[in-house]
Amino acid sequence: MPKLEVFLQTLIQGFLLGGLYALIGLGMALIMGVMKIINLAHGQLMMVAMYMAFWLFTLRHVDPYLSVVLVVPAMFLLGVGIQKFLINPLQRVDSIMPQNQIILTVGIGMVLTNLATLFFSGDYRSTPVSYATKAWYLSDLWKGSPIELSVSYKELVSFLVAAAITLALWFFLQKTDTGKSIRATAQDRDAALLMGVNVERMRVVTFGIGTALVGAAGCLFIPAYYLFPDLGGQFTTIAFVVTIIGGLGSTTGAIFGGLILAIFESFTATYIGMGWATVGRFVIFVAVLIFLPGGVASLIRSKKLGK
Amino acid sequence: MKRSFATLASVLLLAFSSAAGFAKDIELAIPLPLTGSNAKFGEIQKKSYEIAAEEINATGGVKGAKLVLSFEDSQGKPEVARSIVEKLIDVKRQPIIIGEYTSACAKAVAAVAEERKTPYLVVASAADDITQKNYQYVYRMNPTSAYYDTGLLAFLNEVVKPRSVAILYESSDFGTAGADNMEKQAKKLGWEVLLKEKYEKGAVDFKPILSQVKSKSPDMIYMVSYVMDASLLMKQIKELRIDAKLFAGGAAGFDIPNFIDNAKDAAEYVVTATLWSPQVSYKGAKAFADKFKSRDKDGDYPSYHGAAAYSALFVFKAAAEKAKDLSPESLRAALKGVDIETAYGPVKFEDRDGYQNQNFMETLVRQVINQQHETIWPKKVASKAWVYPIPKWRDRK
Repeated sequence: MPKLEVFLQTLIQGFLLGGLYALIGLGMALIMGVMKIINLAHGQLMMVAMYMAFWLFTLRHVDPYLSVVLVVPAMFLLGVGIQKFLINPLQRVDSIMPQNQIILTVGIGMVLTNLATLFFSGDYRSTPVSYATKAWYLSDLWKGSPIELSVSYKELVSFLVAAAITLALWFFLQKTDTGKSIRATAQDRDAALLMGVNVERMRVVTFGIGTALVGAAGCLFIPAYYLFPDLGGQFTTIAFVVTIIGGLGSTTGAIFGGLILAIFESFTATYIGMGWATVGRFVIFVAVLIFLPGGVASLIRSKKLGK
Repeated sequence: MKRSFATLASVLLLAFSSAAGFAKDIELAIPLPLTGSNAKFGEIQKKSYEIAAEEINATGGVKGAKLVLSFEDSQGKPEVARSIVEKLIDVKRQPIIIGEYTSACAKAVAAVAEERKTPYLVVASAADDITQKNYQYVYRMNPTSAYYDTGLLAFLNEVVKPRSVAILYESSDFGTAGADNMEKQAKKLGWEVLLKEKYEKGAVDFKPILSQVKSKSPDMIYMVSYVMDASLLMKQIKELRIDAKLFAGGAAGFDIPNFIDNAKDAAEYVVTATLWSPQVSYKGAKAFADKFKSRDKDGDYPSYHGAAAYSALFVFKAAAEKAKDLSPESLRAALKGVDIETAYGPVKFEDRDGYQNQNFMETLVRQVINQQHETIWPKKVASKAWVYPIPKWRDRK
């Protein structure tokens, strides 16, 4: 029985964390799909959002989950600004290196990290919320339960909000005009241009949405985690791996990618060792690149065609 | 000819002025890191030395002479510390060296002091080998890193008597050293090590590994972490309701107020090893802590570094009053006989277990009780009685 308990708890943890990983990866996948570039400042943008949530909590006592409502629009504007004034102008410049937009995002990430250190110092910060250690227990619900499982209040709320945001994004991409234009740009930039889609504008909107998504992830993350200026890199890596597992640029793929990565990490931590969890991240990354270069998205596509 | 005369004159002048200085003031220059990454600790110690000098001077000084302190910035660099001390000994003829913070600097200073036959009192540098090199002139008043958790082990052995332990630690030098040491001690004491697991700094979710820990139900969970991981660990332990008999932290992350601020009620009853605490009942400890706090610009209590620095000057005073004069040789001999109670704890220099002139004091154990770090061990200096057995998570409010 204890074996089963460990297994199920590990699965629960992986699944709950997966929701957040998916949300972090979604933004990067969306940007990659539309603009064909990897945004390597993704985690750093999340760090910025976490600082917003932190200061809202510390100075104004805004609950981190509620701060999503304020942080997401702010992050959208930040993303729009970055695309409009930094990345778009770069497209018009001839350069020796074809990938200079990606290099630019690395630079943006560094600047953000250093600005955060400058303004907020390198101290660790956190938002000690009142429900920090609240959890539901199986044995409370079912008295005779042979095993004990727990689901943390904050982890579940984060997961549900992440799922809701993902659903809203799906609806936006499928049903609205702007969403359709974004998908059209992602599928074939030239065709979209010929069909009268304002590609330039779609890029700006996409970068804004991508930034807003990772901003939301930041707000959902901070009650369960902590914050320091250097934390971005770690989450850029996670977003990148999620995007690769999902299939470059596929948003549906990114959702699966997030869940797969988090569950894989959880099981590595439980059954191999926690020090190996980060190694496991790169093992799965390399394995996907070799054995499933198209990621989960290629599986989904081949299923559809098979029918 | 003219030049050698000038040199002679200046030497005479120097000898004269320092001889004249003896009667009135004792000048003591203290090397400390006042800039660089260890500046914070240097600053704490500087303030503590100043408080001690004021108190000593207000109560008649050392043998009637006033203590005049100055500070030299070693920047935490061994080569700078070395040249400062060379200057103090060779040029200023200072009879004793007190101070430094990092172990690297203390090692450099110890080598110079030994070579120049000048006593050196190590105040807060913990690397074991400083007092293991058969130095005759190097004395250390703080416990070495191998002895940091003697108090905790005594407490565990006498009160908790665990039969099994699970060890979780950060995969850094600091974490690995702490975990290895605990594993060694556990084997020696016959406790079964059920699990010894490291994690990367920055880990988000400890629950997979913690559920593994839970399934093995160890008597004690011992963790070596920095502050944010320390509170994440305790919070997630609470969420999983892991009911070990005791949760123990290897100082660092578990020992600072920040830990309680972050982990809140999950921090309750966690014990940690520590060298000193403002609540400890050593004579003068509380008065010093309060005086320090009232002068600190953030209103913080001093860390053990401060208490050690504060007490170091009282150790010097005790030695100087015992010595027949203030020459390096007499001071060295007098230090050997020092046996006093300070605000930092009892100080007495012994040669044993491969150490020379080392102060072996029992380290303290603190427990979080009612959201406060309270000293619970050794019993005679405790500020509160320990809480053990600790209540199960389910029964906590």
